[in-house]
Amino acid sequence: MTVVIETRNLSRYYGNVLGLSDVSLDIESGITGLLGPNGAGKSTFMKLVTGQMKPNIGTVTIGGRRVWNNFPLFSRVGFCPEQDSFYEDVTGWEFLTGLLSFYGYSDAEVKHRAARALGIVELAQDKDRKIRSYSRGMRQRVKFAQAIAHDPDIIILDEPLSGLDPLGKRRLIRLIKGYQSEGRTILVSSHVLPEIEAMTSRIILIHQGKILAQGDIHYIRDLIEKHPHMISVKCDDPRDAAAEFVRDEGILRMSFGTDGRTLVVETHKRDDFFSRLQAVILEKGMTVDEISSPDDNLQAVFDYLVGK
Amino acid sequence: MTPQVQPNAASFGTSFRQVFAFFFFLSRRTGKARVFALLGLIPVALAVVVRMVMPGRAEDVAAVFSQILMVFFLTFYIVIISLFYGTSICAEELEGRTLTYLVTRPLSKAGIFLGKYAAYVALMVLMTAASLGLSFFLMNGQRFRDPGLYLAFLRDAGVLGLGIVVYTALFAFLGTFLRRAILVGLFFGFGWENVIQYFPGSTQKFSVVHYLKSLLPHWSSGGGTLAILLFRLEPTEPAAAVLTLTVLTALFLVLGAWLFRTKEYLFEE
Repeated sequence: MTVVIETRNLSRYYGNVLGLSDVSLDIESGITGLLGPNGAGKSTFMKLVTGQMKPNIGTVTIGGRRVWNNFPLFSRVGFCPEQDSFYEDVTGWEFLTGLLSFYGYSDAEVKHRAARALGIVELAQDKDRKIRSYSRGMRQRVKFAQAIAHDPDIIILDEPLSGLDPLGKRRLIRLIKGYQSEGRTILVSSHVLPEIEAMTSRIILIHQGKILAQGDIHYIRDLIEKHPHMISVKCDDPRDAAAEFVRDEGILRMSFGTDGRTLVVETHKRDDFFSRLQAVILEKGMTVDEISSPDDNLQAVFDYLVGK
Repeated sequence: MTPQVQPNAASFGTSFRQVFAFFFFLSRRTGKARVFALLGLIPVALAVVVRMVMPGRAEDVAAVFSQILMVFFLTFYIVIISLFYGTSICAEELEGRTLTYLVTRPLSKAGIFLGKYAAYVALMVLMTAASLGLSFFLMNGQRFRDPGLYLAFLRDAGVLGLGIVVYTALFAFLGTFLRRAILVGLFFGFGWENVIQYFPGSTQKFSVVHYLKSLLPHWSSGGGTLAILLFRLEPTEPAAAVLTLTVLTALFLVLGAWLFRTKEYLFEE
């Protein structure tokens, strides 16, 4: 496949603070997920790719052309920013037609494209309401609409699913996957692994401004699977429950909470443990008040991967 | 979803026109436009009061109050609106975090800066012309048949329009590189511009208002009904004044557009 976005030794600093360090990537057509915890450098990377920021070191090119101050290139790029910011005093329709007018279309074409984009994100009925009055989910959708309204070859989406309800997320994921089948290049960021996983199997892991790993989701999954998970089970008899798990192969360590009702399990095989837990609950008639996973977040996994 | 019509990368001229149209439309919707339109009603209200209180006193009263209104417009109204609109060209995009929507389009950055500047200038000129027109003709209602009245109005409106063009260019330029441009602008517009007028000789030429006043005959003549407000104006020749104001505007706009193109704007986290 052809490389669409290419970065070489890309580095960016905010004063003395490192934003991105020595990032060299080749991004091809299809969906690429940029996964990392908050503050990892995802937005910095996307701002560099969309020409909003200038690299301190290194280069970023789209189709072999440099990005910074190369505004003709942006007719090929659609960008959905992370921030929830708009010209609040305009309607969704005015927002879209206004931004589409920047592409030099005729009035009829602007209206056609705005209507189509609002239809795609299911905002056609609310197009004449001021953006100020939109819900968070609607704002997220109109933001997505402005990124796709001009049919860009390259779509860059910075945390597009944040603020959406589960149904909204599912719809948007379906939409994004639909664009992939049309041969476009889509770069989408998130700090939630299952969200990225639902869209693509091609993932770039970013943490503290550096690329930790890139490749197929299964490779990343394997890396994450190696990281021991902590699971806390609050039940009526934690010691009795512990006796059930103590012989299980995947269990690394067990401890009890000071409240006398909590069992904390450390395991390599999270999915196996949950299956066993379910069986034990049913078998023993255990009363379970709460199951939580204190380190089941991307930050913990990343900390593990970088050897913290 | 195959593209039917390929988008065009805009030239500077196209960028300018498109940004102008968008922001001229947008700027009429804002609370800021409503506040300054209301402020523009102050001289209109004053004109109504003068006409009601002194209905019999005709031309002399009208002349005096017309000039007082010009003081209001020239040293307060156009300065304050130019300050707020000029500095906001960059600042509102940064504070509202909407700059992203402009700089990720196929628009030249100079076109964005100048298109937005032109949109705001057009809006301010319209607001000022409406306010000046209403108050001026209310005050001079008895002279409707005098062609000189219309010439005076056009001259006053032209000077105020020129003032808006220059001040907005200056404040827009300040806004491209200063985070708190409005404070610097307040100091300049209401500190420096007012104080420097009291200085004799060529020192007063370091203010914009000096050149604007030089274009108004009742001030630049050094006498007239409002001589007390002249602060010893030593006028510049009208042609030289217009040339100076034009050069200043061009300078500020070129510098502003260049800075906007080269500078990288980051949102405050």
